[in-house]
Amino acid sequence: MDALLQHLVNGLVLGGTYALLGIGLTLIFGLMNLVNFAHGEFYTLGAYTTFAALTLGGSNFFLAVAAAIVVGAAAGALCERLLLAPLRDESIDTTMLVMIGLWIALQNAELLGWGGVAKSIPHPFPTAPLTLGPIGIAPLRLFVVLTAAALIVLSWLLIQRTRLGRAMRATFQDRETAALMGVRIGRIHTATFAFGSALAAAAGALLGPIFLAYPSMGDLASLKAFSVVILGGLGNLAGATAGGILLGIAEELGAGYVSSGYRDAVGFVIIILVLLFRPAGLFARAERIG
Amino acid sequence: MHKRWLTTLLLAFTLGALLAPAGFAQSPVKIGVIQPLSGAVAASGNYVRMGAEIARDWINAKGGINGRKVELVIEDNKSDPKEAASAAEKLIVRDKVPAIMGAWGSSMTLAAMPKLEEYGVPMVVETSSAGNITKSGNPWIFRISPPSEMEALGLEKYVDKLGVKHADFLAVNTDWGRGAAGAFGTMLRKKGVEVDAPEFMDQAATDMNAQITKIKASGGDTLFVTTAVEQITLILKQGQEQRLTRKIITTGGSSSPSQLIKQAGAAAEGTYHIVFFMPWFPEAMPDGKLAKAFVDEWTKRGHPFEGLTEGFRGHDGIATIVEALKLAGKDDPKAVRDALWKVSFTGVNGPIKFDKDGPAGKESGQSKPSIFVVQIKDGKVALPDFMARK
Amino acid sequence: MRASLAALAAAALLALPFWLPSPYHLHVVIMAGIFTVLALSLNLLLGYTGQLSLGHAGFFGIGAYTAALLALKAGWPFWLDLPAAAVAAGLAGWGIGRLALKVRGAYFVLVTISFAGVISLVSVNWMELTNGPLGLPNVPAPELFTLSFRTKAAYYYLVLAATALAWLVCHRLVHSRLGRAFLALRENEALAESVGVDPTLTLVLATVVSAALAGVAGALYAHYVRFVSPEVFLFSYTVTMVIMVVAGGKGTLAGPVVGAVLFTVLPEALREAIAWQWQMLAYGVLLVLLVFFLPRGIWPALSGWRR
Repeated sequence: MDALLQHLVNGLVLGGTYALLGIGLTLIFGLMNLVNFAHGEFYTLGAYTTFAALTLGGSNFFLAVAAAIVVGAAAGALCERLLLAPLRDESIDTTMLVMIGLWIALQNAELLGWGGVAKSIPHPFPTAPLTLGPIGIAPLRLFVVLTAAALIVLSWLLIQRTRLGRAMRATFQDRETAALMGVRIGRIHTATFAFGSALAAAAGALLGPIFLAYPSMGDLASLKAFSVVILGGLGNLAGATAGGILLGIAEELGAGYVSSGYRDAVGFVIIILVLLFRPAGLFARAERIG
Repeated sequence: MHKRWLTTLLLAFTLGALLAPAGFAQSPVKIGVIQPLSGAVAASGNYVRMGAEIARDWINAKGGINGRKVELVIEDNKSDPKEAASAAEKLIVRDKVPAIMGAWGSSMTLAAMPKLEEYGVPMVVETSSAGNITKSGNPWIFRISPPSEMEALGLEKYVDKLGVKHADFLAVNTDWGRGAAGAFGTMLRKKGVEVDAPEFMDQAATDMNAQITKIKASGGDTLFVTTAVEQITLILKQGQEQRLTRKIITTGGSSSPSQLIKQAGAAAEGTYHIVFFMPWFPEAMPDGKLAKAFVDEWTKRGHPFEGLTEGFRGHDGIATIVEALKLAGKDDPKAVRDALWKVSFTGVNGPIKFDKDGPAGKESGQSKPSIFVVQIKDGKVALPDFMARK
Repeated sequence: MRASLAALAAAALLALPFWLPSPYHLHVVIMAGIFTVLALSLNLLLGYTGQLSLGHAGFFGIGAYTAALLALKAGWPFWLDLPAAAVAAGLAGWGIGRLALKVRGAYFVLVTISFAGVISLVSVNWMELTNGPLGLPNVPAPELFTLSFRTKAAYYYLVLAATALAWLVCHRLVHSRLGRAFLALRENEALAESVGVDPTLTLVLATVVSAALAGVAGALYAHYVRFVSPEVFLFSYTVTMVIMVVAGGKGTLAGPVVGAVLFTVLPEALREAIAWQWQMLAYGVLLVLLVFFLPRGIWPALSGWRR
């Protein structure tokens, strides 16, 4: 029973970050119809930015995380303007290919710049775990899960309560009508990509200190993000949140009780099952943002 | 715009190559190097490359091989066996190297092996641990790193002193991790140790909490960990969070204890590590002077200290090939291969001399490297109490 | 005029081992041939039916493992294990087709990724069957009575024949009624259905043929590199295939060929031209530039110029 509780707690912490990754991608994939293979690279960018701010800039931890989010948004906006906007009328394959090229270029640039050795990102939290009966959770992980939750709530507020959010939802539901109603589609695309990338960078900034920062860290993150998008339904924020947490817990339980080698298979099998029986995602009532 | 930049880069590269100091009259001797220089294990591949470059520079400073400069032709295998095979082909056919060092990972080495036989060019294997590399009847393979079975035997004499009665394994799900879990498991069982079924994790996995929770419940007293330093760091940290309190022994020599101390901090305290080079006390190595000189040169070049436990492989690999080239007297691959059987000298790790391994008539060469155990005590690397100093 | 050009090209191809400067170049050509078969197979799905399959490395790997296992453990000759590999991959294609083609678009993409992921994990963990990460070394070279295809030149002709065959199969398929059904589905599924095209059946057929061809490429790979390990399921293989098809020009028959040759030669050329530190970065940048200037792919641009 103790082990089960510990597994659940582990899964929750992991799932919170999967949710962050998934929300960012579901917005991008859902609204822009873009197979964004470079999503993981913004995750990596977030981790390295935090590292740079802490070690080179000498800032404090929380500012560094905030900086990572800002840099993620800026980089996302830049990529969208430079690479995606000119290709907006091209097919999904073409934009996907550009993202693949960006993925390869960014990852190898990071390898060149930072070297292949993993970097440890310093953090101010004590390492001794907080204990709640038989369960242990490190303070850093608690911080991560709380911050992720806060960011998720903020995202939801942005989508549901702001004009920008309304415009994004409108574009997602019916692009032509939205354009007719005066929504600047180009701006919405830039904002969406920047927002999604900022969330990915946040996930990287939060997970970087727990794990380590290294150039290929984004590959697995991308894959998990895609899984979460499917679980939650394209464009569905609440779905991505729930999906992320579900994936984290399922992976933990799968690795703990079935087989550690097949851990990642759990995620894949879930996807296949979901798509067979509920293709719109586990949580979709209707496919829309929000 | 990019085309011009690329052309400029190419021109600069060519000019640089042309203007290289011409202190040697004859053409250089080329040695091929295949390592993973990009991708997930880029750090390790680059450390080996750095060690190889030190060996090359030292040899050239002493006059090269019979007055000819040594040149390394370095190829990236991108952690992909198909690329390792292509790189080998390119080195052999285009660069006409008489010998190669490579290819770090066992899958990469195995993929390159048919090319060696096809063209008849020897390769010195500096890191790969899979047993079948030297047992598949390829007479062009010479390995200076220990296969997992040899490594397990190297630990055998310390098992009782360490007090191992009930062991668990947590290994990376590759040929290396599986091989180690198997080899050490067999060795331990022979000594009457209770061994549980091994747990594995994917090479790219960052969360091992599930496996650790399972291991915690096993009742064992020792955990053997076989993976690269990044994952060991994560395992130690996650183990600490879950309050895993047992002996931890890492195998494979890629644990880089100095990096563990830096990144895992208190979580690394008390852990044991099997290494093949002890840069913290090089005088304890079989050739203390050489080892110390290597550490000093590495530090002088500004390379990270943590890389020494892997970088020395590059040095010893190149040094072995150079010895063979000197004995052969010419850079003909077959002559080099025959000379490798006669090589006997001391590298940074220790004595290097090849014994026959594998099916009769087509033996590969396998050296018996020195194996050491160290422990992290009080935030520093030290010899465990039970190991007598030389 | 065109006939004589074609004849010249055919003659050049047939005489290739004699005029190429070195065995290394022949090696690159052989790899290009194997990837051409792969690219052609992916193009059937991606280019003609419009479905983006990102799990194609799965079919390639199944073909490679089937061929290797049959040759090593059951002693089958190459001439039997190649069709067996095609059948095995085709079966997998049928399974995936039936499962995945209930969904479209992004969802289909994800099912295919998941399929490749699961197969990859099975190959790594099912030690008894696949030997896991230790891989299957010493796959024998093909033999025809006393003739061994171990030499590069001989293998080249084998690959050339296989590529020609693959191209022929695709050509016939694309110009058949089934091929027209593919295009109809790609352009407008609802409309196609209304004129009697059965989408699921058509797409499943496309997946089966596509997978079988990828399986053939896998068998060719297994008998050439002669070492099969779980790395054949690496996502990077799928990515490379996608690059070849889309950058070459999807939906055309020549596009994938151009893409396969270009993107096999390019990394090797980069090996020669650029120091190892910059190779992959250059590759990524070149890819982005290529997509920018030729978003429809190389072949459509080339054939456009000729008009």
